[in-house]
Amino acid sequence: MRRLLYEARRTASSPNRNARSATVFGRLLGAAFVVCLLTGLYSHFLQEPLDGMRFPTSPVWLYQVSQGVHITAGIACIPLLLAKLHSVFPQLFQYPPIKHPVDVLERASIALFVAATILQLVTGLLNTYQWYPWPFPFKQVHFALSFVIIGSLAIHIAVKLPLITRYWRSRDSYDADGRFVEPSAELDGARAAFVGESEATAELARFRAVRDADATRRDRDAHAAPPAPARGLTGRLTRWIDSAHEVDREPGRARVSRRGFFAAAGVATGGVVALTAGQSFAPLAPLNAFAPRQRGLGPNDFPINRTAAAAQVLETAMDPDWRLDVVVGGVATSFTLATLRGFDGADERLPIACVEGWSQTGAWRGVRLVDLLAAAGAPTERRLRLTSLEKKGGYRVTEMGPEYAADPRTLVALELNGEPLSIDHGYPARMIAPGRPGVLQTKWLSSIEVLS
Amino acid sequence: MTARVPAASTSAGGAGTSRTVRVVRTVLVALGVALIGLGGWVLTDTVDPNRYGGLLLWLVGSVVVHDAVLAPVVAVVSLLARRAGRRVPAAVFAVVQAAVVVGAIFSLVVVPEIVAKARGPKNDTVLPFDYGLRLAVLWAVIALLTAAVVALYLARRRQKVRPSTDQV
Repeated sequence: MRRLLYEARRTASSPNRNARSATVFGRLLGAAFVVCLLTGLYSHFLQEPLDGMRFPTSPVWLYQVSQGVHITAGIACIPLLLAKLHSVFPQLFQYPPIKHPVDVLERASIALFVAATILQLVTGLLNTYQWYPWPFPFKQVHFALSFVIIGSLAIHIAVKLPLITRYWRSRDSYDADGRFVEPSAELDGARAAFVGESEATAELARFRAVRDADATRRDRDAHAAPPAPARGLTGRLTRWIDSAHEVDREPGRARVSRRGFFAAAGVATGGVVALTAGQSFAPLAPLNAFAPRQRGLGPNDFPINRTAAAAQVLETAMDPDWRLDVVVGGVATSFTLATLRGFDGADERLPIACVEGWSQTGAWRGVRLVDLLAAAGAPTERRLRLTSLEKKGGYRVTEMGPEYAADPRTLVALELNGEPLSIDHGYPARMIAPGRPGVLQTKWLSSIEVLS
Repeated sequence: MTARVPAASTSAGGAGTSRTVRVVRTVLVALGVALIGLGGWVLTDTVDPNRYGGLLLWLVGSVVVHDAVLAPVVAVVSLLARRAGRRVPAAVFAVVQAAVVVGAIFSLVVVPEIVAKARGPKNDTVLPFDYGLRLAVLWAVIALLTAAVVALYLARRRQKVRPSTDQV
């Protein structure tokens, strides 16, 4: 077992895989995780506010940016996590696997951390294109795992704190020749034991090589016999691995290899961000090559999340008898589409920002919600309950805080980008408020109830 | 040899440093345990217990796919490449390796999109591109850039060598 773990660790070791690399990528990944947590919490509470929570309606692009950052940082985490796991992979084979009961907790916390993080990134990425091949609900698990990840990260940092501070700075991590300075046995006993054993093995190999060469020379003189071949498969394999690791012992080569590793991780991270973030950020839109969404694509030059067919509103939304009810104290005032069009038209440029990260600003035209509420004799500054025509779905009935109800920029929109709303964008009327997630910008509006 | 090993700063930091470390560690562990507890509570509060099995399977599967498949393959390929590339100049080897890594990571991100698109997205504005073609183009661009960088490096190295040999 000891031999096996040692060989596995030796096979996996490389000049890039050390505590300094782990510290560098750990820092970046930690920062990205915190950004994801904070933007994620903001998005969560926008959708499920606690009692009395109020949110800013200005700037109108606040949620567009916060959720764009959430998704983009999440995508950036993929190369960063791979680089981080690459840096620490040989540690998996440390010997002895567990020295102390506390090690059980440490390794368990790392296992939990790695499992939760990989799952979070994989499911998060697939969620951005609405693919759910797993047997559990995405939203709830994503939310719960975020706490598990940050919690196990905190424990991981606590355990590794001495190593992290030891390798925080580059100049403390490498010697004058650019060789990685190994941690003391006190800091990382398993690594020190491994390095000691590696050096002993290398010494033994050099000794054997010299001895074999001597023997060969003697043999050649005597019988002209060929050198003895390596004994057995294991022996040959071990020697082969040795020869592959030989190049790593040159400090110059190891340094170049390390630079290549950091460059690869940097380019990959920058690359996946640059070629996908255009779905969320206008300046990067021309570079959008791999995002699951393209701005400007779709009816009204706008992407769709849920179609009218999926929401089963194809008939009800086209019904000429459609009415929008504004209900105040149990009394409904009905507005026909013609009445709504009869209001003084209002124009606003507001973004639709989807939870899945894509966003686009549209030119909306419709009735100001404050005007509509006034026409129905309803007070503004009240919480509203919005109901859609859709047959089912978690967002058929939603609530809207008074801060949005009272904001004069909030529209009951009838037109988008100079055309009547397409049925997939919520014809005959939809809500559009500043700074809210797209799922709450109710399409196919049916009623607005003023809550007391 | 003359390594500026700051072992002194960690070991000789005295009682003050170690007390700070101890306090920070205690706070982090307490915070970590509390957050994991919160995550567990949120999970049990919002997810149907009959989904736990599937979730556990996917959690374990995530680690297995990385630690038992992806990482060993990378380790072995890296070893094979290092052995095969012993005679290649270090910089050229590093550039080629970095290029392959970048392409592989992009593939890891883009291939699920190709699969999801083949399965049929929920509407035409989801996954609108031909991701397979774009990934192929990306690999071609990476290959061209890598070739250009390597050629430039080799040319400059030869230039550096030649004047000195001319003088001799």
